[in-house]
Amino acid sequence: MTPPLKSRAGPFGYLGALALVAAAGGMAVLADRPGQGANLAMIFLLGVLLSGLAFGLGPALAGAGAAILTYNLFFLEPRLSLAIRHPADVFTYAVFFAVAAATGWLAGRARDQASLAARRAETVGALLQASQRLSAAATPDGAAQVLAEAVCDAARAPALVFLPGRRGLVQAAGAPALAVLSPAALAAARQAWAQGVPTGAGTGEVADAGWSFWPLEGLQGRSGVAAAAVSRHKAAEEGMVAAILRQGAVAIERAQLAAGAAEAEALRRSDRLRSALLNSISHDLRTPLSTILGSTTTLIAYGPSLEPPVRADLLESVREEAERLNRYVGELLDITRVEGGALVPRHEMIDVREVMDSATERVVRRLGSRRLSRDAPESLSMVEADAGLLEQALVNVLENAIAYTPDASAIEVAAFEDRGHVVLSVEDDGPGIPPEALEHVFEKFHRMDQPSDRHGGAVQGAGLGLAIAKGFVEAMGGRIAAASPVHEGRGARFLISLPKAIATHEHLL
Amino acid sequence: MTAHRPRILVVDDEPQIHRFLKPALDAAGYEPVRADTAAEGLREIARRPPEAVVLDLGLPDMDGKAALAQARAFYDGPIVILSARDRELEKIEALDLGADDYLEKPFGVGELLARLRVAMRHHIRRAGAEPVIDVGGLHIDLVKRQVARAGEPVRLSPKEYDLLAQLAAGGGKVLTHRQLLTAVWGPAHVEDVQYLRVFVGQLRQKLEADPARPKVILTELGVGYRFAEVD
Repeated sequence: MTPPLKSRAGPFGYLGALALVAAAGGMAVLADRPGQGANLAMIFLLGVLLSGLAFGLGPALAGAGAAILTYNLFFLEPRLSLAIRHPADVFTYAVFFAVAAATGWLAGRARDQASLAARRAETVGALLQASQRLSAAATPDGAAQVLAEAVCDAARAPALVFLPGRRGLVQAAGAPALAVLSPAALAAARQAWAQGVPTGAGTGEVADAGWSFWPLEGLQGRSGVAAAAVSRHKAAEEGMVAAILRQGAVAIERAQLAAGAAEAEALRRSDRLRSALLNSISHDLRTPLSTILGSTTTLIAYGPSLEPPVRADLLESVREEAERLNRYVGELLDITRVEGGALVPRHEMIDVREVMDSATERVVRRLGSRRLSRDAPESLSMVEADAGLLEQALVNVLENAIAYTPDASAIEVAAFEDRGHVVLSVEDDGPGIPPEALEHVFEKFHRMDQPSDRHGGAVQGAGLGLAIAKGFVEAMGGRIAAASPVHEGRGARFLISLPKAIATHEHLL
Repeated sequence: MTAHRPRILVVDDEPQIHRFLKPALDAAGYEPVRADTAAEGLREIARRPPEAVVLDLGLPDMDGKAALAQARAFYDGPIVILSARDRELEKIEALDLGADDYLEKPFGVGELLARLRVAMRHHIRRAGAEPVIDVGGLHIDLVKRQVARAGEPVRLSPKEYDLLAQLAAGGGKVLTHRQLLTAVWGPAHVEDVQYLRVFVGQLRQKLEADPARPKVILTELGVGYRFAEVD
């Protein structure tokens, strides 16, 4: 850990030392009285001492030399001569050098220790900062970028991070930038990855790569390879860089695991969706077909012997199931339009009360003994929307209400204005939607497990109706929302909201 | 209409199925009994065992196979399964659990009634143990272990005979690969469907008028085999 002792004063230290000696010379001139020789020497000694304290060993020794020359030349008899008359003066000069060496060395050591402490503080700070940024990185690439920057700072050299990709090791991040590596360097990177040993410059593994490579060992395995454009011993890999590499390896590993989990979850979701679609098609197409085939074959085989009301009922069931099939095929087409982006709503001025009329008309035959009431004010602003899409969205919401409420329930469809919007509301007094299901009601193929209407049979439909309604409403720039319970722990309310149209001159015409 | 009308219990959660099965069964001379859930169906079987049961595997309150297993604990009459075509495995498991036959939705009423007739006849025969079977010019004597085709004795290896006897005793009932392998080769060989292929091929060579177009041992693709209905 101990850096080599050396003077960091540079040429300025030497100049400083000479300046101090010159200042001491100036003071000596002022204090120059005959017979004061030894005292003048003390002034120069002070200059040497200060040089040592301020600039370290080298400048102090240089200062000592300069002081001796100056003192001998200008202040020691005979003046302007380097001749030494008294042997005691040689002793004085030796003291000069001894003081210079001692103070310079002591001061240098103190300064080195201070700078070491400062560097340690800097290292800890940098590590802490790197660790914070690494733990904030959400993706493997993000963590790799943070790591590359931290290594670049620590090693004071360009740094790279390689991560395993689908086709082997790839450069995932670089600081200051990604680099083009020689084949030898790439081979060194691959070796570090494959064997888990540092490679590259200075290791003797792959000569002349110009880069050092370190495997990133996470907690569960190797997560990548880091590189810096330095030779290995110079990078002080057992210090700052090593600490950063350890942290980076763990951070990248964690991000990789998280990314893997997210990918698996996405896959599971799409898998679930696919199987839901298949289930839906299988069940929702086959059930009406079963009825149609069963009823018609019954009529063919036993038609004449059946009572007229039974025959009529069988024919009626064929009609109903054919209509159901048609609705389902329509829904599949609708959701395909929503998903495929083929939905281009028309923009026309419409009165939502007319949409309410036609939508309730379409569901009235399926109401059974449920009561459907309507409520709309005398005057209601127009909205700019697609009448067909809005009607279908409302029909889907109404059919949902019918499907999830028992017989004899009350369903109210209402229209009102609210802060620049026209709102359509469908409210029922059924059992409501459990909180955990509420956030999923507009998802495709979402069907509540426990239909309230057990004896009317399972809830019909593909679980597409509300998803289509949402798609249609949003395509028209509107919003749809669900709330439940709405009355004493029961009931559900769906709101479709569209911005009020601004009546322009053109529209009034 | 004073004759005995066999009671057929239909267990299905789709009201539309009952809507046409009721008049169809009625017109065909049966007495239809409706159940909308597995629990209701099991209760009805326990209360008054019907002559046959039509059971939909896709019931809301209980797994269809679990319902079948429970029913089999106290009811050994014919059970015909209704299932969707994409639920192949479910269907085979149901047959292994003791269902007599299956029908894929959507189905025609004529087909369902035919399957019901076979299942009920087989049930009656199983109860009365019919030792001699004649089908398509083939004569099988299960007591003397003799097989003749158009009056000529047919020589069969012991395994061939065992397999034929299993199929013949099943009447028109579908026997799954697993059931046949267990009965003839033992439980260690339930996965060895290729044995079955080879031996069925050999039997057809010896018994069928046109082995390429079998009339006696019929293949239920992916499920098993069934013996032609007795003349």
